[in-house]
Amino acid sequence: MVEPLVSVRNIKKYFDVGEGELKAVDDVSFDIYPKETFGLVGESGCGKSTAARTIIRLYEPTDGQMFFEGVNIYELSRHEMQDMRRNFQMIFQDPYASLNPRMTVEEIVSEPFKVHHIYDNSKERRDRVIQLLELVGLNEEHSLRFPHEFSGGQRQRIGIARALALNPKFIVCDEPISALDVSIQAQVVNLLKRLQDELGLTYLFIAHDLSMVRYISDRVGVMYLGHLAEVASSEELYDNPIHPYTKALLSAIPIPDPEIQRSRRRIILEGDVPSPINPEDNCRFADRCPYAIKICKEVAPELEEIEKDHFVACHRANDM
Amino acid sequence: MEKLLEVKDLAVSFQTFFGEVEAVRGVSFHVNKKETVALVGESGCGKSVTASSIMQLLPMPPAFYKSGQILFEGEDIIKKSEKEMQQIRGSQISMIFQDPMTSLNPTMKIGKQIVEGLVKNKKLSPSEAEKKAIDMLNLVSVPQPEKRIKQYPHEFSGGMRQRVMIAIAMVSNPKLLIADEPTTALDVTVQAQILDLMKEIQNQFDTSIILITHDLGVVADMSDRVIVMYAGQLMEEGTVYEIFKNPKHPYTRKLLGSVPRLDMDRSESLHSIEGTPPDLYAPPKGCPFFDRCDEAMVICKEYMPEREYHTDTHYSCCWLNHPMAKSVAEGSVV
Repeated sequence: MVEPLVSVRNIKKYFDVGEGELKAVDDVSFDIYPKETFGLVGESGCGKSTAARTIIRLYEPTDGQMFFEGVNIYELSRHEMQDMRRNFQMIFQDPYASLNPRMTVEEIVSEPFKVHHIYDNSKERRDRVIQLLELVGLNEEHSLRFPHEFSGGQRQRIGIARALALNPKFIVCDEPISALDVSIQAQVVNLLKRLQDELGLTYLFIAHDLSMVRYISDRVGVMYLGHLAEVASSEELYDNPIHPYTKALLSAIPIPDPEIQRSRRRIILEGDVPSPINPEDNCRFADRCPYAIKICKEVAPELEEIEKDHFVACHRANDM
Repeated sequence: MEKLLEVKDLAVSFQTFFGEVEAVRGVSFHVNKKETVALVGESGCGKSVTASSIMQLLPMPPAFYKSGQILFEGEDIIKKSEKEMQQIRGSQISMIFQDPMTSLNPTMKIGKQIVEGLVKNKKLSPSEAEKKAIDMLNLVSVPQPEKRIKQYPHEFSGGMRQRVMIAIAMVSNPKLLIADEPTTALDVTVQAQILDLMKEIQNQFDTSIILITHDLGVVADMSDRVIVMYAGQLMEEGTVYEIFKNPKHPYTRKLLGSVPRLDMDRSESLHSIEGTPPDLYAPPKGCPFFDRCDEAMVICKEYMPEREYHTDTHYSCCWLNHPMAKSVAEGSVV
C-alpha cells in the first residue's frame, strides 16, 4: 500500500464576516498519493481555492489536520514551517498579477533561493535559474526581461519555473490555465504533464473547466459549498457519477461535437448556489436536489465509500 | 434563405501611439434570418471588434474603418449618422456582453435599466414602463419580478444579471442579437441555464444571433453556422457539422484538437498550437497562421490564399485546399 504524500483530515476554514460566519471549507478530508494529480472541481464560491490555500497553510486553518509525509504541518512553529514550505509550492491563476512587474525574470525565479538562503554564489544561482527556464521551455535570453514583455502563456511558464525552484514535491495549481487561450492552455497542460513525469511531482489541480480536470487528473474531488460531495478516480467519476450534483455538473458541460452535444439530455439545476454564510447543518445541496428527502434537509451526509475507491456524500447514494 | 446582415470586406484599424493595429482585415460574411452564427477564435483575433463595428460601438478615433460595408436589411450601417444609429441600436440590433457586472449600471434600479431605451424611444408612461419591465423579467425567468425591478445589480447573482442583460437586449424585440462571450464569466450549470434561455427566446421571437465565443462546446451546442477567425481574417466557414466533422483548415483542426473532451481517452495527448498569433502592428502578407502551421508551404508565407469552396456552405482559406496543391500531394507533376 502506497502511503499518501498529503493527507487532509477534517479541515475547516471559516471567515468572520459582518453577518456571521462564512464557512468556506467545512470538514473536508482526502488523500493525495505521490506522483498523482488530484483534481478539485466545483463552481465559483464552492471553496476549492480556499481549501487549497488552507492545505498549504497560506491561510491558518480554523480546525483540522494536514499531514505531509506523516507530519501534521498545522502543529509546526513558524520557523519549522519555513523549512517545510520548500516542499510545496503554488502556481496561481492570473499570470499578470502573480509576477512582480518591477522584477526581471531572473529576479523572480531566484527569489525562492534568497528567501531560503540557498546559493551564496551568484554564478551558481544564475546557472540554476537558466536551467529552470530551459526546463519550462524558455531560455537564457529571457532572463533579463520584465514580465510585461511576455504573453500570458509565457508568464505562466515563468510562474512554473519559480514554483519549481526549490525542488518541491507537491505543487498546488490554482486555475493555472483559466486565464489563457485554448491553444495556449494545451501548451501549459502538456508542460505540467511532462514536468510531472520528469520530476516526479504531485499536483493538486484546481479548475472549473471540468473537461480539462478530467484530462489531467488521476483522481477528482467535487466540492459544493464547502463540502466534498464526491471523490473517485477520474474515469470512474466521469463515467459513473453518483452524487446528484456531480451528475448535473457533468451534464452541463457542452461537448465540442454537435451530434453528441445535441442528443444529450441536460440536467438543468434550478436556482443559484445558496450563500455560504451561516449555512444550515444539512446536505448543502438539499434545496436544489431533485432527489432530496426529509433526512437530507436535517443531517449532513458523511463521505462514504460506495464502491471501491469511490466516495460519495449523499444519503441516497445507494438509490442512485 | 433571406439575408438579414451582410458584412462585405470589412477592415477596421486602430491608430495607436506605436502605429496602426490592423484588428480586422477584410472580413466578409452574412447572417440569415432566424439563424445562429458563431464567430470563433482566440483573444485578439478580431471577433469582438467585428461585432462592435456592427453596432458602431467602437470609439472613433482611435478606431477607423479602412474599407467595407455592413448591410443590415440592405442598408449600409457604416454610412448612418450617430442619431440614426441610436434608432437602430436596441430596437433592431442588440448586444449582450461578457461581464454582466460591469455592463449594468450599479446605481440604477434593474427595472429602469430594462426599459431605459424603450422609454427614450417610445415615450412610455411610468406605469406602462413598469409593466413592460415585469414582463421582460418574466420572459427571462427571473423569479419575483415585481420585487426584483426595484433592486440594484449588486443584489443579483451572476446568472441573474446575465438574464437581466438578455431582458434589456430583447426589450424592443430586435432582429439581430449579438452575444459577445455571453457565458464566459459564468459557471457551467448557470451557463447551461443561460444557453437554454437564449434558444427559447430565439424560437419565440425568430431572432438571429451572432454568438462570439472561444468555447467550442458552446458553439457545438448553439450554432447553425460557424466562422473561424484568426489574426483579423476569416479562415474557414461552414455549417456546424461541416466544421466539427470535416474541418479543412489546419488552424480549425488544431483548435479542435487542443481542447480536451469529456469523451476522449485520457492517454491521448492534447495538440497544443506552438507559438503565438502574429503581431497585428505588422500583419504578415501571406497566411497569418504560417509560422504555427505544421503543413505550411513556401507559398503560404508570400500570398494569402483565396476562399476555396468545398460545398455551397463550406469554404476554407488555405493553399493546401487549392486544386493545384492537391495534384502535388497526389504526386503528379505541376
